[in-house]
Parts: sequence; C-alpha cells; structure tokens
Amino acid sequence: MSIVIAKNLTKKYGDFVAVDHISFEIEKGEIYGLLGPNGAGKTTTIKMLTGLTPITEGDAVIAGISVKKKPREVKKRIGWISSEVILDDELTAWENLEIQAKLLGVKDWQERADQLLEYFGIKEFKNRKAGKFSTGMRKKLEVSMALLHSPEIIFMDEPTIGLDVNTRASLWNLIKQINRDYQVTILLTTHYMEEADMLCNRISIINRGKIIAQGTPEELKEKYGGDVIEIELKEIRDGVLSDLESVGKLIKSENKKIAIKVGNAEEVLLKVIGIVGQNNIKSLKINRSSLDTVFLNLTGGSLEENEEFDARRFYAMLRRARR
Amino acid sequence: MIEGLEALYMREVKRIYRSIYMWIMIISQPVMWLVFFGSSLSGLPKEVLISFFHTTDYIAFILPGELSVSMLFVGMFSSMSLIQDKRFGYMKRIFITPVPKYYVFLAKVFGGITRGLLQVPILIGTALAMGVSLNVNVVSIITIILSLTFLGMGFSSLYAMFTIRTSDWQAPGVIANLLNLPLMFSSTALFPRAFFPSWLSDISDVNPITYSAELGREVLLSGDPNWSYLGYLAIFGLIMLILGSYLTNKYMQAE
Repeated sequence: MSIVIAKNLTKKYGDFVAVDHISFEIEKGEIYGLLGPNGAGKTTTIKMLTGLTPITEGDAVIAGISVKKKPREVKKRIGWISSEVILDDELTAWENLEIQAKLLGVKDWQERADQLLEYFGIKEFKNRKAGKFSTGMRKKLEVSMALLHSPEIIFMDEPTIGLDVNTRASLWNLIKQINRDYQVTILLTTHYMEEADMLCNRISIINRGKIIAQGTPEELKEKYGGDVIEIELKEIRDGVLSDLESVGKLIKSENKKIAIKVGNAEEVLLKVIGIVGQNNIKSLKINRSSLDTVFLNLTGGSLEENEEFDARRFYAMLRRARR
Repeated sequence: MIEGLEALYMREVKRIYRSIYMWIMIISQPVMWLVFFGSSLSGLPKEVLISFFHTTDYIAFILPGELSVSMLFVGMFSSMSLIQDKRFGYMKRIFITPVPKYYVFLAKVFGGITRGLLQVPILIGTALAMGVSLNVNVVSIITIILSLTFLGMGFSSLYAMFTIRTSDWQAPGVIANLLNLPLMFSSTALFPRAFFPSWLSDISDVNPITYSAELGREVLLSGDPNWSYLGYLAIFGLIMLILGSYLTNKYMQAE
C-alpha cells in the first residue's frame, strides 16, 4: 500500500521551475530518500507535501487524501522534522509537547508523551527548558513531538545537516529505530550519499528539480555504479590508453594519472596491471561503487561541483521569488 | 481545534511572565513616563491647569493617556514577536499542523493585550503612591480594562497586519516610527485639544487613543463618562481584528 503517491508534482516561482513534474510512490513502512545536491528541489518538495507552500501543478495523495484538496486533513496525519531544530527555547520540553498536542488536536496526549520521552531517554529532563538541551536531546524532543499523534508518515528535511559525526550516527540509529518500533513511514531528504545508502529502502535521485533515477540503493549502484580504478604511472607508453579502453571506461587521464570505470575491480585488476606493466605503477587505488559514483555517472559531475553551480542558481531563484 | 488557539495564547503569556526583561520593560516604561514626563508641567499655575487640563495635577491628566499610548508599544511588540517566530522557524511548525493560520495572529494580539493590561495596576498604583487622587472603583477599573482591550486589539492587529509579508527585523521599528509618534501626538493622551491647531484636532477627533484617554479621564477624574466612546473603541478593535485575521489567513508567510 502506498502512503504517498506524488504525481507530476511541480513548483514554479515565476518562470523558474524549482520542482519539475516529479512522481514517486512511498510504500507503508519504508524509509524513502530524496537525494540530491543543495538547491535540487528537495526542500520545496517537502514544503509542497506538508502544505507549507501551494502546489503549482500536479498533486500528491497522502494516506488516501489529496494534499491539494484537503490540506488540513493531511496535516493531521503527518509529522515533520526540520533541518534546523525548531522548538520554543523559553518553554520546557513538556510544554513544547503540550503545544504540539493541542495544535494537532490530540486528546489524552500525556501518557503517550511520557512514553516517548521515556523511549528516547529524556524523561527526567521534561521540566527543563528546551533551550538548555544539547543538540542531540533537542533532536530527540523534536522527534517525540513528531510522533505524538501517531502519524502515518514523518517528513525529515535534511535531518542530520550540521551535526557532528557522533550525533549523526546516533540519529541514524534513532531513525531506524522509530521506523521499526513505531512502524512509521519516513521520507527524508539528504545530500549525503552515505546517509541515503545507510538508511533508505528506496531512493529518488533529484537534480535541478527533476528525478533522474529511482530505485533501491543496490539497484542504483548496479545500474549506474561500478568501481573506479585510479592509477598513477611512471610513464604512459603508446597504446596503453587504448588497451585500457577494452577493460573499462576511461574517465580521466592527465599528468600520468588515469581513472577507469569497471564493473568489478577484482575481476579485471590483474588484466589492468598487465596492460600498464607492474613496475610502471606508482600507486593504485580502487574506489568501490557507491551512490557517489552513481551520481557522478548520472550527472557527469560530482556532488560538490553540482552544489556550487546550484547554489548560484538557488540565489537567483530566491531573488526572483522575492520580487 | 480551539485548544490550538489556547495553546498558542498560553505560549505568549508564558514567554511574557518568564522573562525578567519583559517585566523590567512593563514596569519601568510607564512609570518613567508618569514620574518624569508627568512632573514636567507641575510648575504651571493652578489656573492654567484647571482651565486647560480640568485638573490641578498633570500626572492625573496623563495617566489615562499613558495607559492608552502604552497599547501602541504593545502593538509593536506583537509584530516583533511575529517576526521572531518567522525567523526561528516556529511559524513553519505551526503551519504544518491543522490549525487555521489566523490563530497565530489572534494569539499575538491577545498576548499583546494581556501584556498591556498588566500595566493598569502598575500605573494606577504608582499614581496613587505619588499622591494623585483618582476615583478607583469597580466601574472605573472595568471601563479602563475594556477600553484598553479594544484599543490594544486594534493596534496589535494593525501592527501584525504590516508584518504579514515580511521577516525583516527592521520592519517593526520602521512601522513604530511611522505610526507610534503621529498617533501619540495627534491624540489628547498628553495634551488637551485646546492646544492643537485645527488640522491636528481634526486628526485627534478620529484617533482611537483620544477616545480611550478621554474615557479614562472621565471615569478616573470627572466621573461623568461618555459611554459611546467605548462603542467607538469596540468598533475600531473588532474591525481591525477581523481584517487582520482575514489577511493573515490569506497572506501570512511562514518565512
């Protein structure tokens, strides 16, 4: 059963298309990822799904209800975690939960709130001001607030952005845990490949407002991935490059540094070494197939390069939207 | 659904009474006006005070005026608080729940009114302690609370309306400059109408602050209130509230 069915979801700011006819379905109980560089349209997609911004074209059906037609009914059934933690720092954890419960119209929320605080191990701090919490505790409180009304799905917009390595790892565990223990479907956006790989059952890769690939991480790696062998040579003899082309795809060759993309590095490694000559090798490195290489293959650029380009595009979009 | 509004209003109230700076502001601002500005005309001859101010004590004259003017500043704080909620993302949190958008607006307006009304006992107490004689009774207190509630409703709504489309920190200051000073000086809050040139008294005659200040004087000093002033203030407050709710629902942005 699909919890979210997005069809041709489109958002335009003036003549700028931030999200361009994207379609995807999210199954009940899965963790679904929208992966792409900054400015690709991930946050705008979440804003449309949560009713924060009107949909220009297309529609999404969440738990059987159209976002366009009945946004309020949808809002009763969804939870939301922001990229920046949003709490009222002047109020206690308990008061933050109370406001959330009342805004959502949840009756008898106290017992569930207590259970959630217990589950996340922050119950003893419930009467402490949220502003005095550590980042990890703040995230936990926010997740408790999102789970308070037993939502069908939780939207997490860049949940681990700006967190240190330890906090990020523990948040990953937390996301997996609540997905399992509370059977809640999760849609998360991220620009970290490893995060999508680690957490998501299925992924849509989104770039410049369009979905360019969909599938499980394994499928995507299988289809668009492949290992990359990087070799630094002492000298490049004639014919070596064309010989290497027969083994895999030559993706870089400069200053005696060569990179070739192959299906499985182990299977062809000996052949490659044979071609270039064992004594000619200064260094050799194998990059395992990952979502990074998938993104590289799909867009022809690394995530970072695209980010830089898209940041400029994003500011241009902001300027236009403000006008 | 109404519990959502109650929760947002309680949030405003808690933010007020938990902040020491808020208390300093609530107490010090009106008291400064009363003590320093109120004493500035005490050297005037008694005859001048009686013929122009209808009292021998200028502090008694500006007390209802200052209570009314302070509702203007309270309006400014509600718009600052709206901007704060946009900046810190809290508005998004509210907008992703099923409560109607105008609840945010109503909570700010009623939070502002509550804050303004806290000044009533502080100011009246200060004036009494300074030896000003006032008709403090149930009717005069209720009248003042009602007229200030309507006035605060009107001004908080007005300010909040100007803040619907922006998240710029500077906006409330600019609005305050353009609204507070002209509204304050074009009313009879600080000086009697007899001092004004005709164009200023024309403005003063429609300025809600005038109505609130005059009604306050009538119940606290002369004891002969014109109740239609309360009706005028109620209409002003309610129209602004309805207009503000409508505009918020339609145009309020989360960021």
